[in-house]
Amino acid sequence: MISFERRMDSVEFRIHSEAHIVVDDTICRDCSVRGCITACPADLFVPTSDGGILFNYEQCFECGTCYLVCNEEGAISWNYPEGGHGVVFHSS
Amino acid sequence: MTEHTAERPSSDNDDFDAIVVGAGPAGSAAALELARAGRSVLLIERGPFPGSKNMYGGVIYGRILDTLVPQWWTEAPIQRWVTRRQTMMMTGEQALTVDYRTEAWGRPPYNGATAYRPDFDSWLADKAVEEGATLVCSTTVTGLLTDSGRVVGVSTDRPDGDVRARVVIAADGVNSFLAKEAGLYGEVDPANYTVGVKETIALPRSVIDERFAVRGDHGVDIEIIGCTGDVPGGGFLYTNSDTIAVGLVLSLPALAAGGRRPEELLAELKLHPAIAPLVEGGEVKEYSAHVIPEAGYDMMPELVGDGIVVAGDAAAMCLAAGLWLEGVNFAIGSGAAAGRACHGALRKGDTSAVGLGDYRRRLESSFVLKDHRKLREAPHLVMGELAQQKLPAMACGVAEDMFTVTNPEPKAGLMRIVRRQMRTNGVKLRSVVGDTWRALRAFG
Amino acid sequence: MNPPTSTDPGCVAACVKWVDLSPETDPTSGLPVPSAHSWGFSEADRSAVEVALRLADDRGTDAVVVCVGPPDAQWALGELAAAGAARAVLVTSGNPGDTRGGASSGETARILADILGPVGLDADTVVCGDISLDRGSGSVPALLAHHLELPQALGLISVDLGDRPRIGGATRDATTTLMGVRRLDGARRERVGIPARAVMSVEGAVAPLRRAPLGRAVEARRRVQRESSPRRPEPVRPARILQWRPPPRSLPAPEGTDAFERVVSLTGALEERTPPRVVELAPPQAAAEILRQLHRWGYLTDAGAAGAEATAAKATGSEPTDPVTAEPRP
Repeated sequence: MISFERRMDSVEFRIHSEAHIVVDDTICRDCSVRGCITACPADLFVPTSDGGILFNYEQCFECGTCYLVCNEEGAISWNYPEGGHGVVFHSS
Repeated sequence: MTEHTAERPSSDNDDFDAIVVGAGPAGSAAALELARAGRSVLLIERGPFPGSKNMYGGVIYGRILDTLVPQWWTEAPIQRWVTRRQTMMMTGEQALTVDYRTEAWGRPPYNGATAYRPDFDSWLADKAVEEGATLVCSTTVTGLLTDSGRVVGVSTDRPDGDVRARVVIAADGVNSFLAKEAGLYGEVDPANYTVGVKETIALPRSVIDERFAVRGDHGVDIEIIGCTGDVPGGGFLYTNSDTIAVGLVLSLPALAAGGRRPEELLAELKLHPAIAPLVEGGEVKEYSAHVIPEAGYDMMPELVGDGIVVAGDAAAMCLAAGLWLEGVNFAIGSGAAAGRACHGALRKGDTSAVGLGDYRRRLESSFVLKDHRKLREAPHLVMGELAQQKLPAMACGVAEDMFTVTNPEPKAGLMRIVRRQMRTNGVKLRSVVGDTWRALRAFG
Repeated sequence: MNPPTSTDPGCVAACVKWVDLSPETDPTSGLPVPSAHSWGFSEADRSAVEVALRLADDRGTDAVVVCVGPPDAQWALGELAAAGAARAVLVTSGNPGDTRGGASSGETARILADILGPVGLDADTVVCGDISLDRGSGSVPALLAHHLELPQALGLISVDLGDRPRIGGATRDATTTLMGVRRLDGARRERVGIPARAVMSVEGAVAPLRRAPLGRAVEARRRVQRESSPRRPEPVRPARILQWRPPPRSLPAPEGTDAFERVVSLTGALEERTPPRVVELAPPQAAAEILRQLHRWGYLTDAGAAGAEATAAKATGSEPTDPVTAEPRP
């Protein structure tokens, strides 16, 4: 099995300086499911030791899994990145 | 907005007759039809080029293109023509495959093709541009412009980014923020969605030809069931020219609750004894993921609003019904119908929901909604426990018992084997009869 | 070629190069994979366009974007220029088979100079990206400065476009204008004053390119002006001059009745030999001495030797002198 880093290295991301995902992790502290952590194909969501959620946006596939599985209203605000930025597939 | 060079004049306030959001197969087909009818149409794409945000599970069924781009197969960027189609049921170390091949699918007018979506979608968008559509890339639509409840344009993330038109076609993909903003979607239920993950794996062309027993530009598409552990879903593997693609489709709620990560499940599939020899020695060229509107007919939004129609994945027009996994053809079909319906509504001068109602009627009378309605139960059956867990185990078990020679024990009769496997796998006769009946009705 | 002419002399030009931004190699063969979608303009070039736009704003003149490249570059060039340039010029090589624009650095600089020079757009200031991603030599800005006879400020890591007196269109010959910072060796920096008329090259971080307004982006693809550069004649290659080598000297076959004797005779292993000389001379005298010795051994003919002696004498400016002979070292 290839490493996750190697896997993600195969994808082109034109990263914008502003995040298109925002997580309000005061809400996540009360979440018992935390589906985003296992479901996000890019593994962008990481639990922190104090019960919060740390997230990245740079290697986002822009698929929408995270907000669809999020069962806490308003925890994940998700939008598309600025035009021309974000993931760029070539062989998919 | 500055002036534009429309063939036909539109009303003073409008920059274009129509705006199409999203230059995927649905959007490009809609723009192509509108431009061909002489309408001024703006096609807006948020990626740097059409198709840059798109991935899929492998096969484009091109029959729908015949009317849009005659002889499309001579110019479309196709990787291989699928002449060998397999359905594989597997358990941990067993696999039972139905393998069909025909040379007929390898010559015009062909059946299914594999392609890279960035190439294919760019090609189709170019066709729309050739017909006169205006394409603007790297532009994200951020919302709808409305006038007393009626959609009159879109706003984009560019400076001075508002643009107005008499009708907006939302072909903005599975997340369709536009259809949601227009109030066309009800409650969004994650159970209606799956996520697809895929690895494109580079292998020399000769190795692919050898491993999959195909020649030239012929290729293979394998649909797999029983390969996703406790998470309902399915797998696929198909050949491109010098890459193969292997991927999984996974139910969102089960994935979120199950604690298994998508790439772990994919790695397990690649290690399965039936799959490992096929992918061995390849280098991962690209990893990709996308959400799929799995539930089909039952999750579709209202297709038409005042000044807006919805097409393609944005309208959940993706058929994930086990035996059939189709999406690009439905996108093109719905997009083309949207384009024609909008042209008709523009001609009548009525782009309200009533005036655009022809869109739904066109879809109802075509394969797009006929197939979806006919197969509306199929996604639930395919994602059910019987199809996911018991059927693969039972089928593999029956095959193993039938073909295992147990000398000096005499051969068991088929009915005895089936009964034994049903007992082992906890399948009740009553549920089999019931599900078979449902399946016959669903697929009939 | 008839270069496009400017109605507003003294424009600011940005020169950009169409390159493969993420060249892909086949993981199994290591060969480059042609890709339709990874070509574009580098951050440095985009930064050059932004600097040109700000300079043009500041001076109340037009910005022009110029690219020497293949027809494929047209749409992307239009999108780039939509950020605010008055026009975009794409110079294609005129070679129908050329899809990637196959001009060398020297050729590109000459074509650009034709376009940007006094008979063309008459650009005051030219801004280029400093490094292209396709292992370019980075020499085009310098060659362009040479052709246009403009001063150059290359490899800038920042350009001070702010706090300074505005320069109107009339001050074309003003020498005090903007300030830039250049990288030097040893992690040092150099501040340079850049005259109003100059060729600059900038790094990618100097100024992120602004987004094009929607209206201009929509129009972008129609705005590019296509030029075709005439195919230039292949440069004449000078005839290859080979190094002169002494001709071989034919030797008689070795004498001897058996192989051992012949080998001894051929190698001269057991014969008395002239002890080696170690000679220390100035190079011209050493050359003369070598020639004399080659003549003595019979490698040189008389005529060749005489010519060589004359050459050596000319080189030293005197008659050949006796070399200082040293004893062989133990």
